[in-house]
Amino acid sequence: MKWFWCIFFMVWPIVAVVLCLIAPSQGWWFYSESVNPLGRRIDHLFYVILWITTIVFIGTQVGLGYALFRGAQKTDAGDASKAWHSHGRHDLEVAWSIIPAIILLFIALYQLDVWAEYRVTDAFPRDKMEGVLKRLHQVRTPKDSLALAEVSGRQFEWRIRYPGFDANGNLLPLMPDPQPTDLYAVNELRLPSGNPVMINLRSLDVQHSFFLPDLRVKQDAVPGLVIPVWFATDSPGSHQLLCAELCGWGHYKMNARFISESEEDFLKFLRELQQAQNFDGVTQASPP
Amino acid sequence: MRACVCIATLLLLASGCQKVEFSHRAEYHELEGFAQEFVDQTLNKYFGTVSDMVVWDRLKLNSHLASGTVEQAIKDDHGTHLVLKLNEPHQEISPGTEILWADGALFGKPSAWIAEWNAETHTAILQTALEVLPEEGSAVIVGPGQVLAQGRHLYAEHCQHCHGVTGDGAGPTAEYLNPLPRDYRRGIYKFTLTQASERASRQDLSHIIEVGIPGTYMPSFKLLSRDEMESVVEYVLWLSMRGEVEYQLIRTLSTDYSKKAVAERVESGLEEKQSGEEDYETFESIRDEFYELANDPEEMQVEFLDNVDLMVSRWESAQQPAAQILPKEKWVGNDPASVERGRKLYLSVDLNCFACHGEAGFGDGPQTYAITKDLETGKDNAKPGLYDSWGHPNPPRDLHTGIYRGGRRPIDLYARVHAGIKGTPMPAFGSKLSDQEIWDLVNFIYSVPFENPRAGDGLKQAENGEPVQNVASTPSP
Repeated sequence: MKWFWCIFFMVWPIVAVVLCLIAPSQGWWFYSESVNPLGRRIDHLFYVILWITTIVFIGTQVGLGYALFRGAQKTDAGDASKAWHSHGRHDLEVAWSIIPAIILLFIALYQLDVWAEYRVTDAFPRDKMEGVLKRLHQVRTPKDSLALAEVSGRQFEWRIRYPGFDANGNLLPLMPDPQPTDLYAVNELRLPSGNPVMINLRSLDVQHSFFLPDLRVKQDAVPGLVIPVWFATDSPGSHQLLCAELCGWGHYKMNARFISESEEDFLKFLRELQQAQNFDGVTQASPP
Repeated sequence: MRACVCIATLLLLASGCQKVEFSHRAEYHELEGFAQEFVDQTLNKYFGTVSDMVVWDRLKLNSHLASGTVEQAIKDDHGTHLVLKLNEPHQEISPGTEILWADGALFGKPSAWIAEWNAETHTAILQTALEVLPEEGSAVIVGPGQVLAQGRHLYAEHCQHCHGVTGDGAGPTAEYLNPLPRDYRRGIYKFTLTQASERASRQDLSHIIEVGIPGTYMPSFKLLSRDEMESVVEYVLWLSMRGEVEYQLIRTLSTDYSKKAVAERVESGLEEKQSGEEDYETFESIRDEFYELANDPEEMQVEFLDNVDLMVSRWESAQQPAAQILPKEKWVGNDPASVERGRKLYLSVDLNCFACHGEAGFGDGPQTYAITKDLETGKDNAKPGLYDSWGHPNPPRDLHTGIYRGGRRPIDLYARVHAGIKGTPMPAFGSKLSDQEIWDLVNFIYSVPFENPRAGDGLKQAENGEPVQNVASTPSP
């Protein structure tokens, strides 16, 4: 029976390690590579932590196996030797407090850059974002928002407000309050690709979470707060936009599309949106 | 063992809760038993049940994936090839789809099934070779009833828990919602681009499904494909028609065969009997008379089918271009003079907009405190305020919110003023106002959210840039 337990406790860690090794190549539970440069750095952090935990896991399992098999080998019925009681040993306690503390401190320091760039407004890639707005010919002062759209979570859809164009056809900056010139869309967010772009995230009712899995971007939308979120995509493409916070019975309905496209296409899209929003029912066919 | 019993009990309970069937209108239960039976049989015959639908051609819905004719039928070693000429537009056809013979030599013969489909050449290779080939030009139906079947599937997934299995707007989540989900069973839809006397067009329904109704719980279903959207719209129309047929049927029957009417007739029959008349009505004689009328092909059936045809023709006419609201004059925005003219119209006694929407546009006009007439019966409402055709409270829109339920495009607001909002006290002003006057009102409505900033609104506004020639279209260096 004791050999059964020895093998039983060793089989599961081996199965777990083998499955984890096979999983990425088979695409099990693994996303494809992030299309967002920052997302790839977040992935890198994930893999660093994964390696640390893997080494610790294998180490402890090997230790467990060693103890099990050594104990099981003792077949001498008259053996009076006692187990070694490590409980209360000061040096051991110090060791396994300090080593994990060092590892945690390493992780904490190692991820600071990524975290700061993603979440701390002062560390945002401001120049690059301004570059995009400049190429879109936005009429702006340095005080104006860097955001290109305001995304509002609402039970159960994503409502989007883009800045519109002025009387001369120039793109306006996004204002905190709705403007008569604003353009509106729902469940389809479009932004320029290639460079960092920013949105202002809001919620119109309860807590939602703005989740772009392919970009590794996830940010809660909190009622009463306007939260700036920035991200970038390498190339034009269509991605899923989900709500990642259980927001009510229709949570599963908050499924939208995020399309990144070239800057020219984005401007074209805004102009088409403006035309669609100003549609007055007078078609070419009817007499003027 | 106990766990198994518990799970089994839970499953049983759950399946009991989930019993999916069409429910009846409240008025149905006021009918006498034999009349109820007639309603059930009629609805069952022409519409079937949720799980076993009947496609009734009389409703003229686009219930099939495609229809058309056989252009060419070839038989060779690989099997039977059919080249079809399909009426456009049609939905996407996939392998495994049924081909039903609508006329010709194969009419009434078992259907064929598509094994391979070439969408470009419209060629189908059949799963089993045909003994007899169809003649060229004989009519076929591809995927009979499949649009409705797919619509039902999508409806159950996305719509049913609010709008209900029957489309009565009383699904399980409906009780938590304000405003309530639409009850389709009268064929009335609020936000349309059709004339005041017309119903909703297919585009109106799919537009609402695509963009949702801001300010309500109706979300946007933008990710549905074109075919899926069409299917849902078709199923919603089918539910509307079913609901309306039930409504008409019950209304016709309730004059003579409601429990109350039958009881009165029996009572007066008894009086006649006491006064010595020989020909008096009893419950049995009323029932027999009903069965006779119901089974006589010249009587109730004719009236019923006439009503159905009238309903179908009304739906059909709403799809015609003539039903669409098409302004002749163009809308010109950003015009202070127009806003001023609109304000004068809004405050004019003739149009009386402020009676409901309030002088300042906060939706708090005197009518919201008055006893109003019921839209259906014309009687006084029990409580003050405004009510819609379904009898639910229907407060006038606060124009300051900047939320436009039926859409914010100029054509949307134009249609609201021109044709009113169907099923609500919002009247149609199309016959009273010229195009320009309606555009003035629309411009005024657009200006209201921005005219008086309220506390907390902030003062920041965008400023116009320097006029530059076609800046945005010049490619960036």
